Amino acid sequence: MAMARRYVSTRVRRREDPQLLTGRARYLDDLRLSGTLSVAILRSPHAHARLVEVDVRPALAAPGVEAVLTGEDVARLARPIRAEMSGPGYKTSGWPALARDKVRFVGEPVVAVVARDRYGAEDALEEVRVTYDPLPVLTNAELSMRPGAPRIHDDLTDNILFHTRFDNGAVERAFVAAELRLSHTFRHGRCTSAPMENRGALASFDAAEGILTLWASSQSPHLLRSGLAEALDLPESRLRVICPAVGGGFGPKMHLYPEDIIVCLLAQRLGRPVKWIEDRRENLLTSAQAREHVNHIEMAATGDGVILGFKATLICDVGAYSLYPVTAALEPVTAASIIPGPYRIQGYSYDAYAVATNKCPAGAYRGVGMALGTFVRERLVDMVARRTGLDPAEVRRRNFIAATDVPFTTASGLVIDSGNPTESLDQALEAAGYDALRKDQRRSSTTTYRGIGLCSYTEFTGMGSGTFRRRGMSQIAGHDAATVRVEPTGEVRGFVSAASQGQGHATTLAQVLADEIGVPMAAVSIVEGDTERCPYGSGSFASRSMVVSGGALILAARRVRDKVIAIAAHMLEAARGDLVMEEGAIFVRGMAARRVTLGQVARLAYRPASGTLPPSVDPALEATQYYDPPPATFSIGTHVAVVDVDAETGQVAIVRYVVSEDCGTMVNPMIVEGQIHGAVAQGIGAALYEDVVYDDAGQPLTTSFMDYLLPTTMELPAIEVVHTETPPPVTVSGFKGMAEGGTIGATAAVANAVADALAPLGVEVHELPLSPDRLYRLIHQARKRP
Amino acid sequence: MKPPPFEYFTPASVEDALALLGEHREQAKVLAGGQSLVPLLNFRLARPRYLVDLNGIPHLDYIREEDGWLAIGAMTRQRAVERSALVRDRCPLLAEAMPQIGHVQIRNRGTIGGSLAHADPAAELPAIVAALGGRLVVRGPDGERVMAPERFFVGYLTTALEPFELLVGVRLPVRRSRTGHAFVEVSRRHGDFALVGVAAALTLDAAGACADAALALTGVGPTPVVAAAATRVLVGQRPSAEAFQEVGRRVSETLEPDSDLHASSEYRKHLAGVLTRRALTRAAERARGGEG
Ligand SMILES: Cc1cc2nc3c(=O)[nH]c(=O)nc-3n(C[C@H](O)[C@H](O)[C@H](O)COP(=O)(O)OP(=O)(O)OC[C@H]3O[C@@H](n4cnc5c(N)ncnc54)[C@H](O)[C@@H]3O)c2cc1C
Repeated sequence: MAMARRYVSTRVRRREDPQLLTGRARYLDDLRLSGTLSVAILRSPHAHARLVEVDVRPALAAPGVEAVLTGEDVARLARPIRAEMSGPGYKTSGWPALARDKVRFVGEPVVAVVARDRYGAEDALEEVRVTYDPLPVLTNAELSMRPGAPRIHDDLTDNILFHTRFDNGAVERAFVAAELRLSHTFRHGRCTSAPMENRGALASFDAAEGILTLWASSQSPHLLRSGLAEALDLPESRLRVICPAVGGGFGPKMHLYPEDIIVCLLAQRLGRPVKWIEDRRENLLTSAQAREHVNHIEMAATGDGVILGFKATLICDVGAYSLYPVTAALEPVTAASIIPGPYRIQGYSYDAYAVATNKCPAGAYRGVGMALGTFVRERLVDMVARRTGLDPAEVRRRNFIAATDVPFTTASGLVIDSGNPTESLDQALEAAGYDALRKDQRRSSTTTYRGIGLCSYTEFTGMGSGTFRRRGMSQIAGHDAATVRVEPTGEVRGFVSAASQGQGHATTLAQVLADEIGVPMAAVSIVEGDTERCPYGSGSFASRSMVVSGGALILAARRVRDKVIAIAAHMLEAARGDLVMEEGAIFVRGMAARRVTLGQVARLAYRPASGTLPPSVDPALEATQYYDPPPATFSIGTHVAVVDVDAETGQVAIVRYVVSEDCGTMVNPMIVEGQIHGAVAQGIGAALYEDVVYDDAGQPLTTSFMDYLLPTTMELPAIEVVHTETPPPVTVSGFKGMAEGGTIGATAAVANAVADALAPLGVEVHELPLSPDRLYRLIHQARKRP
Repeated sequence: MKPPPFEYFTPASVEDALALLGEHREQAKVLAGGQSLVPLLNFRLARPRYLVDLNGIPHLDYIREEDGWLAIGAMTRQRAVERSALVRDRCPLLAEAMPQIGHVQIRNRGTIGGSLAHADPAAELPAIVAALGGRLVVRGPDGERVMAPERFFVGYLTTALEPFELLVGVRLPVRRSRTGHAFVEVSRRHGDFALVGVAAALTLDAAGACADAALALTGVGPTPVVAAAATRVLVGQRPSAEAFQEVGRRVSETLEPDSDLHASSEYRKHLAGVLTRRALTRAAERARGGEG
């Protein structure tokens, strides 16, 4: 019996905001355990070097120092972090929590010092003497993958951590038929997610119980616990992971890092709580980075703009180590599979590589792979428009999957379960006033050029184990879970395996649960981020929480609700089918006076007397449900960016920004729009500002926010959002994930807008970010061409 | 990102501060708004043994007019200068540049003296003082010396200040009639240091020809660059797009800026030309319009 939804689809205010906005929420660094010691970490100043000698004796003697941990110590106490993947083409090497034989990137942990406070620990780091023997440095994936390149991991045959090849069998035919062939190389810069709260870990060991508790600023408490259990060789029953308030994750907080292991080892050894808080410099040096790609791609199309096929070679620079639990394959595999997008492409083949370099490891980041694949494809679609003289919107229309085609299997084998890209494009163009924008565009001044950029995208969300197993990602569960319990006093609680980093789960999951049980939201609360209180699951990443944890919550709630109805039917001496539950009361349909409250049912369920419960019903009101959704459900959307480019200075200003998106049923449209705003900001950042830069010696040059440029409110436009709602047939909830679409769409839309603006000057855009210096050079070169 | 240990002093007068600096010399650093120094401490790029905090010293925080000069105390917050009606009226060039320095939060703490003493090669204030021919007032154990910008700014993050001296104030000539000013810059984001910035002042004679012109650039050399030779050609000419274009070309030609992460030397040279033209154009409009 489907419930009428009272809260879902409404703009309920975020319940967590009063605490967050008044500073009462507790983030990791706000936790106070008495006797806590502080860790500072000595990090490699070399991108690639042998460790010759590590002398920590002077540091041990420094004031306030309690212990010093080296790579030798760690080798005795813990296993290296291993990112495993099943299937061919993948090589992995362990990452020890502290370097022992070699360092492989600037910032890699070498020695940990524990002291009474962070000041003393950092002072003592200066006393550690390390002798390094520098090795040749690789900062370029294309050079690193060449035969004979120096090896970053001595135990591997080369630096190619992952390679896969795909051919759908129709690509040669497509290219033979083509009237138009384009061949281009695209480059995307290296990005970092820069959450407001950096990473952090606090470990405490209860020697009496033998329980090690790690508080971590993490997106994935259970996957973190499993990874720790493996590294520390402890049973999972001895480990507890708790996530306090988390100030942004965006992907990188789903990984297991050396510092997590270091604080655990130190807490065990010292018998006192040990805390490490990542500072911003460490964040920019060592938190997982993302994106950096080179993509050589050929495209075949007809003379009237019908795209026939792609042949792509994707080379992804994944830095020094493959990260648990996603592996180095994540970025290239996702990018390659998304390239066909929402289009009916016949032929597709690709070679996708993840290549190690002497840089910070790359991992998950909002829009992983999809941002790159979409940027490349949508640039090419616009190039087809330019070559054929068709409007970019028209080229898209000629190639879209029709609503009647879904479910549609794309040329890369992904199944688009639902959605209508034509409808989305139409809605976005109408909201933007596209025709008027185009007319206006011709009236640019002599130095300022106006450009309009479109992006149509598909967003892979709510992945189930089917997707992770197909990809060989054996360390990700793929399912999530929820326990729903009605307490004896009648309040309804949901314990879920998701872990919010600011997305608003306390609100949105409560909306879902309140509707499903039939109680006011005030009676509902959500617990997450604790491996002891919540059932096992994957956590919150890859736009999965609403689909998977939300789905599990619905299924568990239905079981509890059925039980409530069964007991109430017994109490009211009515047939179950005649009962309705609303606002926390169960009554006979059409006879509102014949009622019991949920509280009455709960009291009885927990303290039954003989005969008060129906014969086949157990005491208590609780159910746990694991939910493994289908491989994926796809959200779709369209972005329209309008920019002004100052052709003299190369500066870009975004003057309009419109998003049309479809994520199925919106649990809370306000939160959906907030997610879009933030995600668009990150996509704009990648298009125009953000780039982690290393010099040829592997020294990072962007180690503060003066140099790693996040867009601020001053750079961002007002973002207008419109929606279509196509509930997916494949999820229990009717929800799709949506947290990444903004990022995926924005990078491509802005790049296309800049290219469109500068088309009269003969400029094409292949490389991001579009800094003023880069645009100046492109304009200057185009003007020099005859 | 924690500073190395230091000893901290809060002198209550300029004399006490000078005594501390005299005693500790190179081992001491002055703390003003802390917006440049504190990050350097936290990155452990600066390791003074002693910090001499000027925030407790009265009478270093003022904006007033004195004998045809606008006088500003070293500890005057950048935000106070930005909001001062006197500054807007007597020194519109300074008023136009202020909002382009960092963000409100930074200007709330950052001081005029701190920015000038820090002498960042991309900072706005040194270029303003250079363009206007202002004066820097320095106090040492033997009293006060008043310095011209070309003597004060000696190199990258380096001034002529001795370790035992304090910058106590800056003086800027008040605006003359028929004079227009403009400050234009390009930075990666709002609030970032300029890639290139140009400060221009242009005075017209009664007939509308250019009587005087001054230009200083930031971001294109170790110290502010005063483009005297390039502007001299304007004197006696009527302001025109061609003339300003030509000055821009000449300015650009003479520069050899460094490349860094955010801008190549070539791009900075190009920008210097474009921004010179734009700054002069705007200054000329304002000189004609009488808005300063
Ligand atoms: C995010 C950010 C963005 C910024 N953007 C800009 C920008 O766009 N443009 C710009 O110009 N600046 C910018 N700044 C720098 C800012 O303007 C600083 O305020 C200024 O550079 C230093 O002033 P302060 O008062 O904070 O000095 P402090 O940081 O306290 O001191 C700076 C240096 O000057 C010395 N010093 C200070 N006062 C005196 C004195 N009276 N006598 C002798 N020595 C002294 C100190 O010893 C120290 O070496 C930015 C800063 C930040 C953090």
